Amino acid sequence: MVKIIASFLLGAVSVTALLWHSASSLMFSERVSPFGVEETVARIQENMQNAGNGWSLSGLRNAAKPIQKDGGNVLPVLMVEGCSTRYSGPILKDDNLRFLSILMPCKVSVYKKNDGKVYIATMNAALIGRLFGAKVGGIMANVANDQAKFLEFDASKPAPKMIEGTPGAGGPGAGSGADGGC
Amino acid sequence: MLSISRAAIAAWTVGAALICASAFSATSPQPAGAVASSADPAAASGVPFNAATSAEFRKGASTADHSRFRELDKEFKSGPEVTKACLSCHNEAARQVQHTKHWTWDVVNPENKKRLGKKNVINNYCTSPISNEKDCMACHVGYGWKDGNFDFSSEENVDCLVCHDTTATYRKLPGDAGHPVYERKEFPPHSGKFVEAADLKKIAQRIGKSGRSNCGACHFYGAGGDGTKHGDLSSALKKPGKYLDVHMNAEGLNFTCTKCHQTSGHQVAGSRYQLPAAEKGAAHIRGKADAAPEACQACHGNTPHSGRLSLLNDHTARVACQTCHIPEFARDPIGTEMSWDWSTATKMGPDGKPVVTKDSAGRRAFDTKKGTFVWDSYVIPEYVWFNGKFDYKAVGDKIDPAQVVKINRPEGSPAGDDSRIWPMKVHTGKQAYDKVNNTLIVAHTAGEDDTALWHNFDWVKAIGAGMKAAGLPFSGEYGFVSTEMRWPIAHMVAPKEDALNCIQCHSPDGRMKNIGGVYLPGRDAKPWFDWGAGVLSVLIFLGVLIHGGIRYISTRKGV
Amino acid sequence: MAERLFIFKRFERFWHWSQAVLIVVMMLTGFEVHGFYTLFGFGDAAVYHTTAAWSLLTIWAFAVVWQFTTGEWRQYIPSLRNVDVMFFYYLFGIFTGASSPFHKSATQKHNPLQRLAYLAFLSFMSPIVWISGLLYLFYPQWPAWGVDNLLALEWIALFHTFGAFLVLWFFIVHVYLALSGPVAHLKAMITGWEDVE
Repeated sequence: MVKIIASFLLGAVSVTALLWHSASSLMFSERVSPFGVEETVARIQENMQNAGNGWSLSGLRNAAKPIQKDGGNVLPVLMVEGCSTRYSGPILKDDNLRFLSILMPCKVSVYKKNDGKVYIATMNAALIGRLFGAKVGGIMANVANDQAKFLEFDASKPAPKMIEGTPGAGGPGAGSGADGGC
Repeated sequence: MLSISRAAIAAWTVGAALICASAFSATSPQPAGAVASSADPAAASGVPFNAATSAEFRKGASTADHSRFRELDKEFKSGPEVTKACLSCHNEAARQVQHTKHWTWDVVNPENKKRLGKKNVINNYCTSPISNEKDCMACHVGYGWKDGNFDFSSEENVDCLVCHDTTATYRKLPGDAGHPVYERKEFPPHSGKFVEAADLKKIAQRIGKSGRSNCGACHFYGAGGDGTKHGDLSSALKKPGKYLDVHMNAEGLNFTCTKCHQTSGHQVAGSRYQLPAAEKGAAHIRGKADAAPEACQACHGNTPHSGRLSLLNDHTARVACQTCHIPEFARDPIGTEMSWDWSTATKMGPDGKPVVTKDSAGRRAFDTKKGTFVWDSYVIPEYVWFNGKFDYKAVGDKIDPAQVVKINRPEGSPAGDDSRIWPMKVHTGKQAYDKVNNTLIVAHTAGEDDTALWHNFDWVKAIGAGMKAAGLPFSGEYGFVSTEMRWPIAHMVAPKEDALNCIQCHSPDGRMKNIGGVYLPGRDAKPWFDWGAGVLSVLIFLGVLIHGGIRYISTRKGV
Repeated sequence: MAERLFIFKRFERFWHWSQAVLIVVMMLTGFEVHGFYTLFGFGDAAVYHTTAAWSLLTIWAFAVVWQFTTGEWRQYIPSLRNVDVMFFYYLFGIFTGASSPFHKSATQKHNPLQRLAYLAFLSFMSPIVWISGLLYLFYPQWPAWGVDNLLALEWIALFHTFGAFLVLWFFIVHVYLALSGPVAHLKAMITGWEDVE
């Protein structure tokens, strides 16, 4: 009996450990970009603007800036923020789901690592969406589809200009999303 | 001696005040279009600075108020006229300048007598000033060097103002052979932007010690644009934050260039042709004549780490300070150019006209005149053994077109004590070469004449004119060869918290992976030994386990 | 008849256990610096390793003086007499429950095999580790000493690692044999007293 309980516990612990270990790679994904930081951002921005489905840019956040202001250095990290009213609207209308606004806007992070390569990180919107029932799951599946399109690059096209701040809004990043998406 | 220490003190106080950022002022061959603006000397230095009210006492200011000199109280028509006025008091100044490479663009390598200097070497950007003097000499500390016949002995052709202007209004533009703007003119041509004529009287009356913007006017914009050439020098250093440069931090130490590049009798310390790559010993005493004041060790000595970090001092016999303390260069969105491919130059846009395109960050990406550019920022350096000397390709040197041509090859080796591991910027590219003579070529690029590449887009004519000016043969057949140039990284020293950490080098795939000739713990284990010893360890462990097992079983039976 | 013998004096015990701790620390940090794993972090490991090395050297300096002033160094004089007896005991007798052929006393603290092993430790392993270790530590001074052309850090490091493995092997066998004997042996190393039959 003791053996059965012990092996059950052992199994439970090891499965939890495995899940815990793989959770980050399930929830988030990271890939190498074929372009430099700015060009990667610019191409994602262009894809976002061309994605249809109500997508627009909400801003470009430079997480390295405040660290520089404090006198320190981190390698470049830029977050492309975009939003689609078509997807955000139904969630924001539902009082039971409004808390999900913390997942907004949709974000793609572009950064350099010490190997000198540029990486792109995204959230697994489809998987996270499934945690919150059919309605959110359905919306987030669409978001995930569009998000995949943001990262389809056509290297034969010339590099677009990186759009700093938010089109039609005041400054970059926080607060300026008012005119630029959601 | 006296003048060195005086220069040091003065540079710290007055010099700092003079960051009246002449900004793009003097000489940027390809200014990014902007004109200096945010120059607030008081904010930069904390020292009130008002040249107009000379009666007011200014701590640390010059002992002479130039606005009260009769010699300067007249309408100057040209730069040389101002120089004559300067020389009427500073009667040794021009001769001093004429003995610097700022003037001669000519340096002789004392070891092999090879002629170096900007006049003689090829670089990996605009390649050579020969036949392009009218443009290139916007960064010459003189007036009128427009071709091979410049009179290097003429004292009045020395340009005092470019280094001593404090008004940020003195600009030298490409095309004027080093003269400042005498008449309001559109620049860049057809851009709709205008550069005002320099008010030489006003500028002369307000001259002062060289500030960061004076040096930066050329050294921040080398190779035709902000940050282009060096990688560790750009306009970001005019007023940098602590993150970019702990010493030049505008709100901290606020060093000017001459704080390290101490200058005496117009001889500026520090040279890429002979760089103090492996300074030894303790920190230098201020004023010590034989010291290299621009080296980190001049102030910090060779054992700068103390307490818990003192183990790091063991590195200084092998590793340059810069390697750990400048973990990346071009740590600013301005970035730096990483590649210049001349082979695509003369390619027209779809409409058959010359075209210029920018990259995503707004930096030049393609120009029909010049070719294709690649930029990057926050660049991780390459590391090499370096003894402070480069083997340069000079104009006319033979090359092997089958291989990547090293425009300059850093000398040095792990053997002996004269080299350290240094960070380098590697700039790649493609340059035209003479297919028959196997030499890199000199091309006549800038100008409005028929042979100028940027006017007529004809390589053969341009090379012909350039080689003629250089006194070299040209077969008429040209091709393009891959090139590389290296730049030692010594500026943009990061705060100590941002220095490289141990395992960034002490690991098999770390930053030192291409550095040979030195044993690096954590990187250089011998796999055969580790495997052998490891297997033996496991066997011994198994041995005692088996021994113990047998003992356990046998004694249990026995009992 | 049980007898209580005072085997290990206070300093001897202090020496043994401080040495044990420092050697374990040095093995852990040393193999980390070598690149086998990450435990303390490279920088901390290197600092701890160096600090432990100097501590151990200091303790050894005292120990050497102690060994000679007390005459205890004679405990390490090797003798081949009865080595075979001890060897066969560990090879066979120990399995049959036979008691050790060696009888400890204040003047004979170590069995013949131990004598040989400890002598090897002192005269072979230690010099390898210490000489290579000190040369390693003073690598920046090589040019000043004029030995930079005679020595290569690569080989010094290899010797040092080799010494480290010897110590590891010694450690494994030593700990095992200490645990394989009667508990009284262990107690003697802690309290100094051993109950001898």
